[in-house]
Amino acid sequence: MLHIKCPYCGIRSQNEFAYGGDASVKRPELNKDVPDKEWDDFVYNRKSLRGKHIELWHHVSGCRQWFKAQRDTATHEIFKTATMNEEI
Amino acid sequence: MNSISSLKNVHKLGLFGDYKNKNDNEIVKIKEIKNINLFQVVKYKNSKENISNFKIDGLNLPSSLKTISNSSTRIIWMGPDNWYIFSSNEISKDLHNFKETDFAITDLSHSRSIIELEGDMVYEVLKKGSPLDVGKLKAGDCANTIFNGITITLDFISNDPKIIRIFGLRSFGESLYHSLTDSSLEFGYKSV
Repeated sequence: MLHIKCPYCGIRSQNEFAYGGDASVKRPELNKDVPDKEWDDFVYNRKSLRGKHIELWHHVSGCRQWFKAQRDTATHEIFKTATMNEEI
Repeated sequence: MNSISSLKNVHKLGLFGDYKNKNDNEIVKIKEIKNINLFQVVKYKNSKENISNFKIDGLNLPSSLKTISNSSTRIIWMGPDNWYIFSSNEISKDLHNFKETDFAITDLSHSRSIIELEGDMVYEVLKKGSPLDVGKLKAGDCANTIFNGITITLDFISNDPKIIRIFGLRSFGESLYHSLTDSSLEFGYKSV
C-alpha cells in the first residue's frame, strides 16, 4: 500500500485518495481558434511515461482537496506533493 | 431540536460480545449522539475575509486538523477553509455575521449519523477498519478517514477516558454502526 502526503492533512494511506490523471496537461486558451489536434491532445492523448510523472490526486476521503504529486510510474515512489497553486 | 434517529432500528441498548468478567473501562461503550445542530461553514476561495475576525459562540474557527470547543459548541476542521459546527445552542445570530458573498453556510443537522465510542479499547476498534495512525492523535485533534470503506470524520474528545466521536453520512449510518459493533464484539461492548 502506498502512503501519500496530502499537503493539508499529512501522510495518509492510499485508500483515502483517488487518482486524477496527468497534471501537466494544459487546457487550450479561451477565445482562440483551436485546431482539432490540440483538442484531441487535451482531451484524449496521454504520454503514459515510464519514470517521473506529475499527477493529480484527490484526497477524497479526507480534506477533499485536489493536489499535485510527483510519482515514479515504474517504482510508485512518490517524491513530492504540492498544492494546486504550487510548482513541483 | 428533535430529529428522527438514523440508528433507531439498529441501536439496541444492552451488553454484547465478550463483556463478561470485564470492568467498565475494558469494554467499549457505544452511544448515538442526536438532536444536535450541525452547520457547515465554507469560505469561498476568492474571499479576502480574515477568519480570525469571526467567532461562533465565543469560539474562533480552528486551524488544520484541530477542534475547539466550549460547553455547548464544538467546531472541527474539515479541510482548508471548511469547518463543521456542532452546537446545542442557538447559533444562527453568530452565523449571520458570515456574509453570503464570502461564505457558504449549510444546515447539515439531519444528514449525519454520529456515534460516540468510549473506553480503553477504542483505538483498537478503529485500527480494525481504518488505515489512520490513530495512536498519534489525542483530544483536540480531528481527522477525515475511512472505516471499512465508509468515509468518516473522527473527533477526539477526551484522552482519559478515551472518547471518540465518529461522523458518517446518514445513509451509511446503519452500515457504519454494524462495522463498529462487529469490531467491538471481541472486547465486549455496551450500548448506552
